[in-house]
Amino acid sequence: MSGQNYKAPEHIAITYTKSFVLDVLTWAYIALVSYKIIWQKIVLKERYPDFFWSQPLYSFYIGLALAFILIFTNFSLGKGLFGIIKTKDDEVATKKPFAYIGYLVILLTFITSYYVSQISLKEFFSPQGLEGAQRIFTALFNPNWAIFEEGLFAAVETIYMAFIATAVAIPVAFVLGFFAARNLMNGNKVTFTIYNLLRACFNISRSIEPLVWAIIFSVWVGIGPFAGMLALFIHSVASLTKQYSEQIESIDDGPIEAITATGAHPIQIVWYGVVPQIVLPYLSYTIYRWDIYVRMATIIGLVGGGGIGNLLMQYQGQARWNEVGMLVIIIAAIVWAMDWASSRIREAIK
Amino acid sequence: MLEIKNLNKVYPNGLHALKNVSFNVPQGEFLVVIGLSGSGKSTMLRCVNRLHDVSGGEILFNGVDTTKLKGKALREMRANIGMIFQHFNLIPRKTVLQNVLSGNLSRTGIFKSILGMYTKEDKERAMKYIEIVGLKGKEKNRADALSGGQQQRVAIARALMQNPKILLADEPVASLDPATSHSVMQYLKKVNEELGVTVICNLHFLSLVRQYAHRVVALKGGVLIYEGKPSEINEQWFKTIYGEDAVEVTIN
Ligand SMILES: Nc1ncnc2c1ncn2[C@@H]1O[C@H](COP(=O)(O)OP(=O)(O)O)[C@@H](O)[C@H]1O
Ligand SMILES: [Mg+2]
Repeated sequence: MSGQNYKAPEHIAITYTKSFVLDVLTWAYIALVSYKIIWQKIVLKERYPDFFWSQPLYSFYIGLALAFILIFTNFSLGKGLFGIIKTKDDEVATKKPFAYIGYLVILLTFITSYYVSQISLKEFFSPQGLEGAQRIFTALFNPNWAIFEEGLFAAVETIYMAFIATAVAIPVAFVLGFFAARNLMNGNKVTFTIYNLLRACFNISRSIEPLVWAIIFSVWVGIGPFAGMLALFIHSVASLTKQYSEQIESIDDGPIEAITATGAHPIQIVWYGVVPQIVLPYLSYTIYRWDIYVRMATIIGLVGGGGIGNLLMQYQGQARWNEVGMLVIIIAAIVWAMDWASSRIREAIK
Repeated sequence: MLEIKNLNKVYPNGLHALKNVSFNVPQGEFLVVIGLSGSGKSTMLRCVNRLHDVSGGEILFNGVDTTKLKGKALREMRANIGMIFQHFNLIPRKTVLQNVLSGNLSRTGIFKSILGMYTKEDKERAMKYIEIVGLKGKEKNRADALSGGQQQRVAIARALMQNPKILLADEPVASLDPATSHSVMQYLKKVNEELGVTVICNLHFLSLVRQYAHRVVALKGGVLIYEGKPSEINEQWFKTIYGEDAVEVTIN
């Protein structure tokens, strides 16, 4: 009823605009990649082709021109993807003309990736290469048990670092989860603004990798487990809050309504109507996160977050592969054990 | 005891769900509200205990207009009105006893209720109501593991725990099979007759209405179109309320 019929013509214009933009970008990409990789690298065999900003610019012009012509035909990826080109029941979308543009993009991307990542099977199987690999693998399979104790202590540090980061994050995320739940917050403008602000903050802090946080904090508080813990803490608050609030958003309104009807106070409504519905999913997700954070903590150690990752980094820097082998075994064992324990616990409380 | 005067409800999306609805409910009555689905029955009940805010008109509960109440006064009003629902709305994963005790939240301090500290007297009362609804021996069972009819009886006990003057029932038997429906209706009747609680109940089946209602009001498109004895609903009224094509089905 609410003006959806009036929207229809405007809607098509928007869809066409979107299709056009997508077509321009697609053709520009095809032009640029064809020139840089197919022409310069493969046909001319240039080792280090020059880059000028004019190249993407001209590609863009070519894209614009091609898209402008082809938008009137069925050769338009945008028109296909945004549903302007209708697929009849007896047709298959993957055989349509626009689909072939898609295949071309994928093929070009594949070739480009091959060149960009300098995949060289020759190097992979070269005698020196194989010899190096053999040396490392021999060392890795002959771990130096003398550092077992050292590695174990570092591992314990890592596990506790992950644990304390999650543990401290839980109460914070628990409270924030309510404020980030749409169904509790969209009642009035003030709360809805809080909701939107919180969401924005969390999306930003979650999109920054814990690795980056660890680098920031290792400068701030110095290299060590504390920096790692802070990095994981920031990340867990954001991801737990998001998960918790989604859990709250998906609960059944019935019990809340029933508890409200008894004349309960809002705090009692939350405690009796909301909390019983969310504890188990919360617990399950939190254990799952802890498991992930132990793994993350290992990686974070590599950039100065302390723990076993840090140790691994030191030995790797000195090319002491027997020691590295020992640490890899310890890490593998922990990851396996955590994985097993966490899935067992989650299974049990379901 | 309950006087509804020119009640209007307009939802935020502009839907006018109740239009100038007026009727009275005397103390001790078993009133049944009928009407097609979407006619505004649930909306009406939710206006009475203010689960929905009212857009216009008055609802006098023992002489006090409840439509403008806020905060503590609103909660005290709600405490005097029990409610049961089509889907029972029990607290998941809690026992029957815990569910019934939650009916007493309005009289329990916030701190005590969070810690689950109920008085011995409260517990005795809860046990009494569990016995009244025929669930003695099941108080330690998880409520969500019971059958539909049993869950609805737990919901009745929870409402009784409030010591309500009025019990609102929103299609309490709509998701139950016929035999269980009758048993739940019998318990509502018992609550009405033996404990003297006024009951306002939304129902779908006319056969149940004839059996349990003292009086009937009918809604159609948010307008009150009928008010009278269940025995007075003849063929003519039936077609007016439910539409020309409706056929009466009975449930035994
Ligand atoms: N929260 C709501 N927002 C908007 N419209 C609603 C809402 N709840 C119910 N309605 C509408 O109000 C009308 C009456 O609904 P309801 O009271 O549930 O009827 P009944 O209980 O008799 O089936 C229906 O048209 C329904 O779609
Ligand atoms: Mg209804």
